[in-house]
Amino acid sequence: MKTFFRRIQDAEFLPIGEVRKLKVILVMAFLLLITAATIPFSIYFAYPDYVTIIVLSSFVLVYGLMIALLRMNRVTASTQISIIYSIGLTLFYSQGTSSFYAYLFFYITLTIIIFYQDFLSYLSYGLLILALGIYYIISHQEGLALAVDVPGFMYIYIFTLVLFYLIFFAQILYNEKLHSDMNDDWVKMNQVIDKYHDDITTYLELLRKQAKREPLHEERVFQKLVGELAVFVAEQVKDKGKDIMNVFDLYLYVHERGIEKILENEEISVQMKRTADRLNHYLFNRRTDMYSMLINFSSRFLETEKYKPSRYEYHIQHLAQYHDEQLIAFVMIYQYLVREVCGVDAWDQMNKVLTIDEIDQLFKSPEIEAFFSPQLIALYFENRDLFISHFVSCLVEKGGTS
Amino acid sequence: MLNRKRTHMFMEIEDYREDLEIRHLRTKNHFVLALLTLMMILTLIYMLVSGFLLYHTLALLIGFLIVIMFNIAQLAYGKDIYQFYQLNKYITTMGVYALSIAIIFVFQSPSAITVLFIAYAISAFYQDLKVMFINNFLLLFSALMLMVNFSEYLNFQSSNTETEFGIAFFLVAFISILTISSFIIIKQKRFYYNQIALSRETEFRSIDLLIDLEEQNHQKRIDIDSYYKKAQDFFQEFSEILKLDNPFKERMGLLYMLEKNEPVNRILDRYPHYTKEDLERMEDLLIGGKHKLRKVAMKLGHTFTSEVGKAELFSEQQFKSFNHPNDALDVKILLFAVFYAALKRGIAGLPLADKAAMRRILTSTDYYYYVDPKVIDIYEKNSEVFDEICEDILGRKAER
Repeated sequence: MKTFFRRIQDAEFLPIGEVRKLKVILVMAFLLLITAATIPFSIYFAYPDYVTIIVLSSFVLVYGLMIALLRMNRVTASTQISIIYSIGLTLFYSQGTSSFYAYLFFYITLTIIIFYQDFLSYLSYGLLILALGIYYIISHQEGLALAVDVPGFMYIYIFTLVLFYLIFFAQILYNEKLHSDMNDDWVKMNQVIDKYHDDITTYLELLRKQAKREPLHEERVFQKLVGELAVFVAEQVKDKGKDIMNVFDLYLYVHERGIEKILENEEISVQMKRTADRLNHYLFNRRTDMYSMLINFSSRFLETEKYKPSRYEYHIQHLAQYHDEQLIAFVMIYQYLVREVCGVDAWDQMNKVLTIDEIDQLFKSPEIEAFFSPQLIALYFENRDLFISHFVSCLVEKGGTS
Repeated sequence: MLNRKRTHMFMEIEDYREDLEIRHLRTKNHFVLALLTLMMILTLIYMLVSGFLLYHTLALLIGFLIVIMFNIAQLAYGKDIYQFYQLNKYITTMGVYALSIAIIFVFQSPSAITVLFIAYAISAFYQDLKVMFINNFLLLFSALMLMVNFSEYLNFQSSNTETEFGIAFFLVAFISILTISSFIIIKQKRFYYNQIALSRETEFRSIDLLIDLEEQNHQKRIDIDSYYKKAQDFFQEFSEILKLDNPFKERMGLLYMLEKNEPVNRILDRYPHYTKEDLERMEDLLIGGKHKLRKVAMKLGHTFTSEVGKAELFSEQQFKSFNHPNDALDVKILLFAVFYAALKRGIAGLPLADKAAMRRILTSTDYYYYVDPKVIDIYEKNSEVFDEICEDILGRKAER
């Protein structure tokens, strides 16, 4: 239970899938409470006893189904069923009593749907609840009014319910757009980061070769260390540590043979192939997630400059206030591109200087908008010959950029 | 003692996340303003049509206008001083509740009590933890106040004990689910911001590391003298073409002195009409070392040819971790052991982590959630055993 509350508290660190699961568990806990309260309330409802018993039994069954689905890790299905369950409870209350608290149920169910932040669910189930709510208000006016009430009180009930729905509709729509934009940004950034890590891995390999060290996974000391650590953890978690060594052997075997050969081998079981395929993402003989995580972790210990608002700013217009400064910056970057290694070679390694054609192509690509204003790019193409004569020709003479 | 409070591995993330929140706050403020205006129009139309007393109608109109005008003013000031956006969240939340309570007192009807839910929905738009607490407190306080002190507003025609208990119970249930929902939604939004901030910081540090490794491998630094000489020649000819007296000369001279790490006083003596702040700002225009222009150039080179495919929203597969839900426990255990052993063994070219810092990062930062909970809990409780195993195998010298 402690761990569960800690996970709620730390939900901002958990991936979406985990949070979805947390949400379902929370909604289920809430529904359990409401269902338990429904038993005494149902005594006052205008249903025959057998209907009440059937409905309550159905709720218990559906609740059991939700638990089973959650245990099978079918989070989406549990989500949908928990919404339908809430709608069922709303119907049970709204058809059983004309009290004000049954009206509150429409808000409760809408909130449960809002909680999942799923646009389509909110649009479909939300509209259904809205329609049921309006119908309830119209058909149970007497239960919702005071002896002397304001004129047209019914419209206030309807408007507030509709407005509540619309406000959260706008919020979900806004979140959806925002998250989708951020996701695009995030995916794009991760791709670029992977490229940095590709280059870092190449350089690390060169340094290893210069130091005449064996690849890490081939070092006996490293293998022994991994084995002992893995066995220790496995013994604590599963009371049986030896099986983990088979997985470790497979990990080393994937390094040695390559995943393709393992997948082709008909003698290897499907389960083992599946494990090998997962391990393949964490090898040491190329840039993998293992390398990326080691690089990220280690980069924590790099000395970097103090945080300032322009830390992640790469657009020249935001870095340089004045036009002359922007042009100076552009000229410096241009020189860097024509002189230093910043292009990928035929083997996808960052190992070559960009050619003039490649630079032109780069300046014409849509990505360039994230770095320079269209005016600067136009200025470059208007004065391209001047740029080439000053920054490229001399390099060509020295055997540099073509 | 186990660590409970999690933070980020890169502390810079906190600052950037705040920046991101502020950037989106303006749009949210616009939404809230539109909703307030809509609420005002609907209330006034209803009051006029239903024949409420004119001074009641005018009083509410003035109330709405005060909150709306206040909003507009804060939005205007917020352009220059972002704290006004922050202040606006709290003032508007309290304002919208004050208006809702005023509506309840004027209408004296249970139907008006539901306006409190609209107040909650409007304030929830900010998706801010502090606003959420104020929002919950105000909703609970208003609901309790009405039930205890103004129970006549809930005196329905068919009122009985069941109804009274039902209203109290389901109102509390409603507020509870709203609170849980808002809390998790806010945390989820933070997760998105965290991921963006984390990627930005990872990129920043990866470029730094790449510069270090490039220089180590190629044994080559940027030839500053040559860069500036060629740029000066270029600007001279460019100015002649434009028939101008080279306007770039002074700034180029100043930047060159900055590249050469000349003392600030000497630079300011030579260029007296520049300030210390100007120099700090212009440091972003240096190409040498790990300065910004070099980073821009490197990023430009890496962005080139990058393609973005369609991916599921912050898809699980895109995350680099040892805690993928579909992986077997044995795989998760092994990968953590490999990762830990590699860090302890060290990789030539990567900065080294000391023992205490490693433990702190693994147990108290976002890294905690990159590992299966069962595995990381074992590490958290037995980190000394882990260290002893490493010392035994690698020798004490390897231990840092």
